[in-house]
Amino acid sequence: MYGLPLLTLVTFLPLAGALVIAVLPRERLDWIRWAALGTSLLAWAVSLYLLTGFDPAQSGFQFGEEASWVPAFGIQYKLGVDGISLALVVLTTTLTWISILASFGPIKERVKEYMISFLLLEVGMVGVFLALDMFLFYIFWELVLIPMYLIIGIWGGANRIYATIKFVLYTLVGSLLMLVAILGMAYTYQATTGTWVGAFDYLALISFGFDPTLQFFAFAAFFLAFAIKVPMFPFHTWLPDAHVEAPTAGSVILAGVLLKLGGYGLLRFNVPLFPQAALDWAPLIIILSLIAIVYGAIVALVQPDLKKLVAYSSVSHMGFVTLGIFVFTEQGLHGAVFQMIAHGIITGALFLLVGVIYERTHDRTIARMGGLAAVVPVYAALFGFFVLASLALPGLAGFVGEFLVIVAAFDYFPIVAAIAALAMMLGAAYLLWMYQRVIFGDLTDFLRGLGHHLTDMNRVEVVTLVPLVTLTVAFGVFPGLLLELWQVPVDDLLARVGSSVLAVR
Amino acid sequence: MIGVDANTLLALLPPAGVALLAMLVVIVDMASPARDRLLTVLAAGGLAVLMVLTVVVGPFPGIGLLSEPVEVFAGAYVRDSLTSLLDLLMMSIALLTILFGPDYLRPRGLPAAEFASMLLFAITGAMLIGGARDLLLLFLALELLVLPGYLLAGYAKRDGLSTEGAIKYFLLGSFSSAIFLFGLVLTFGFTGTTSISEVAAAVNQAVGGGAGLAPGLLMGLALLTTGAAFKIAAVPFHYWTPDAYQGSPTPVTGYLSVGPKVAAFALILRLFVEALGGLKADWTPFVIVLAAATMTLGNLVALSQDNIKRMLAYSSIAHTGYILVGLAAYGGAAPGSEAEAAGLQSVLFYAIAYSFMNLGAFACVAALQRRPGVTSQIATFAGLGRRAPLLAALMLLFLLSLTGIPPLAGFWAKWYVIQAALQVGGWLTLLAVLAVLNAAAAAFYYLRVAVYMYMRDAPEAAPPVVVGGATRTGLGLAALGTIAIGLVPPVTIAVIVMAQQAAQALL
Repeated sequence: MYGLPLLTLVTFLPLAGALVIAVLPRERLDWIRWAALGTSLLAWAVSLYLLTGFDPAQSGFQFGEEASWVPAFGIQYKLGVDGISLALVVLTTTLTWISILASFGPIKERVKEYMISFLLLEVGMVGVFLALDMFLFYIFWELVLIPMYLIIGIWGGANRIYATIKFVLYTLVGSLLMLVAILGMAYTYQATTGTWVGAFDYLALISFGFDPTLQFFAFAAFFLAFAIKVPMFPFHTWLPDAHVEAPTAGSVILAGVLLKLGGYGLLRFNVPLFPQAALDWAPLIIILSLIAIVYGAIVALVQPDLKKLVAYSSVSHMGFVTLGIFVFTEQGLHGAVFQMIAHGIITGALFLLVGVIYERTHDRTIARMGGLAAVVPVYAALFGFFVLASLALPGLAGFVGEFLVIVAAFDYFPIVAAIAALAMMLGAAYLLWMYQRVIFGDLTDFLRGLGHHLTDMNRVEVVTLVPLVTLTVAFGVFPGLLLELWQVPVDDLLARVGSSVLAVR
Repeated sequence: MIGVDANTLLALLPPAGVALLAMLVVIVDMASPARDRLLTVLAAGGLAVLMVLTVVVGPFPGIGLLSEPVEVFAGAYVRDSLTSLLDLLMMSIALLTILFGPDYLRPRGLPAAEFASMLLFAITGAMLIGGARDLLLLFLALELLVLPGYLLAGYAKRDGLSTEGAIKYFLLGSFSSAIFLFGLVLTFGFTGTTSISEVAAAVNQAVGGGAGLAPGLLMGLALLTTGAAFKIAAVPFHYWTPDAYQGSPTPVTGYLSVGPKVAAFALILRLFVEALGGLKADWTPFVIVLAAATMTLGNLVALSQDNIKRMLAYSSIAHTGYILVGLAAYGGAAPGSEAEAAGLQSVLFYAIAYSFMNLGAFACVAALQRRPGVTSQIATFAGLGRRAPLLAALMLLFLLSLTGIPPLAGFWAKWYVIQAALQVGGWLTLLAVLAVLNAAAAAFYYLRVAVYMYMRDAPEAAPPVVVGGATRTGLGLAALGTIAIGLVPPVTIAVIVMAQQAAQALL
């Protein structure tokens, strides 16, 4: 039905765009910007086209592509998509074009390099979600690192170099240990079967069944890599720095997609590859998730900086993802994936909104804001909408994921659910308090001093947010739209762990 | 009997050709002095031709005039696929170095003829090491390799640092050569032969007989290990490197960080693997310790360097450590196992990948220093991303490859080494984990350069960076190597196959 290699297309279209931009003249900023936006829109269109051709009822991976790459080690170029990865791919392509559009105004320096970095980043992110070969996955995983390093380091704030190096080093430590685990698995596979064929093939490896010791250590290595990315307490300390220093669009992608790489990795690799170890590690991970949920919320409460507040709220929200995964129930997994998508949309939007105010004031200090409602009503309304979405107001997307996870947690152990629900209240507290301080009250002297510079949102800014508002409402009212998409992979995943779970219980 | 037949001539063609080329350079320089450009073209062109001829000679699978290994000089020199692979690698190193030379040398009034001819003589030595099957030839070739190296290091004779570095290099180099020679003598004394295959037979007999080894032979082994460790600059025998590297003219530094090191690993392959393979249970623990110490210390000290040449010097020490992990994997594996071959392949693969990326990085430093007076401080890289975008992009490429970011050559090299170590398991697994932790730490100082290039502004008075044609060609070739080995499957596979063939030649 689909003759074109659609997955390759959606992955490498941005690379083609980056190459085109590389040869465009440096001073034609408009050409560069529109080429970048055009490419990302094209990739977005392809991803939506995938969505139309995708059959949610079918088990396994679709649109598969396969080519031999390094036969000496059985390494393949192998792509495929299931409901979970498809949703995340569409999230990525959507946020990418929004971010590029949102960068039109703020990024005025080295636009060419910026757009190239952004498109390369998209290649890496989409590739991570589509790769079905461990080696290929690792390549894309590392590919994400370099553009983000440049984006934070070149176009970031005052303390950007510290932040970007911290980001890279944290991520690299985790991913290199994961590489050792990948190689260890491949070698074990080769030693047992006598051939390298399939040693990096995801599908071959998940049905291989590794021995408990290897599972234990390999799980730990993979988990570290993904936990740093999520980020889980206590590996989260790079995140606030990176977010504060990153340019707005960088923050959007960081929160919207990069953190999801961690959650996706846990779902896609940790659990199916090492089901036994996953069960053994689950209690510890659940405790860490609870700490992340509560700790992130408490720390967010006292942040003086808008971006830091949203960053710590991410730690808290992403805690629901890891919690949902490791309680191993249908609701939990549904909730975890849903939370990833919802958090990507909502937090991405919050970072865009913080960026809007930063563009006008060059400040993000909550204490210096106040009374914005009177001056910039559209902004206040949109900001309010996403604050409500983020604190999980029923009817908006943020609610569904957290609710499902809490239901699942209650099933697992009521106290866990109680703690998580408590943190939801804390979420309402820090978000509403922040909103109240920034938007209501009298206009502060600082803002008044800006005079006519303090304008309401312009058309481009509204355009970047409209799709996110639409999705937040749509997924909040009709969560089934999404849940149906990944029903089959969730069932498959549960069936895979299921036997082990039953054996334990 | 030395039979002079066609195969003998073919087998000797590459090293003899390079030696003749070196002499030709000297003669042309005498006939028409100070024709730097001509000499560069002559040396580089000659090397390119010889490289093609080496491929034609073989013996590589499917290609080459020789279909199987040829021994000449009564078995003292052999041309097998390992010899040819190392010859090609050494000639590539020389070719790149010669291309990087003029930009740096000409503004400083340093003559190209001496540079090119010394380099070619040194490379001849390196190539002879690659094929040596006799301890005497091995030692002579080693000296032929290092003596021109001392000259090259001190070749900017009006530069105090260069002279200081050269003297340190010379003193410690001679020391280590003497130690190495003493080890050879003891080995000869206790086995009664200088032929590597006969030494191997004697050692295997002693080990197999259960009588254990004579203390003198063990002493010889210890001295040989020390000598070789000096040559590859493994910790704690690395003290000469930073000073020698910092003082030498930058293109020479690039060569020193790659050429003698690769040659020393060739020597280790011929000596430790081929001659003393039977003793590997005895030397493997030392290699494991050396590897762990070398990569860790190299990286830790590199973290705090502000001088890019010193930083790259310590980074090259760290890379020595990674290569030693591969050697340890060979040593730790059961004889005849697949892991044993994988260990050797990883050593060869790493050496190839490392040569291109490290030479490339040094070439970028040299290109930046074209104007005399530019220091080697990392700060000179400030704002390079804007001043010379292409040069900065290339430097970034080499740095990323050195860091081991996929899919560049450096990543595959680390991959290969780690994969070999994991196959062996046990202590080697820990060594592999240590290696990746080191790689993560190394990212810090490599990326620091990138930070200067892209994230800091150039000083107001920064002059424009102009890169000459030869350097451009060389940089292009090095970048091509770095990318192609990593990214282009046929090339990657070709290199893997060559490494496999070469490893088979040893086992």
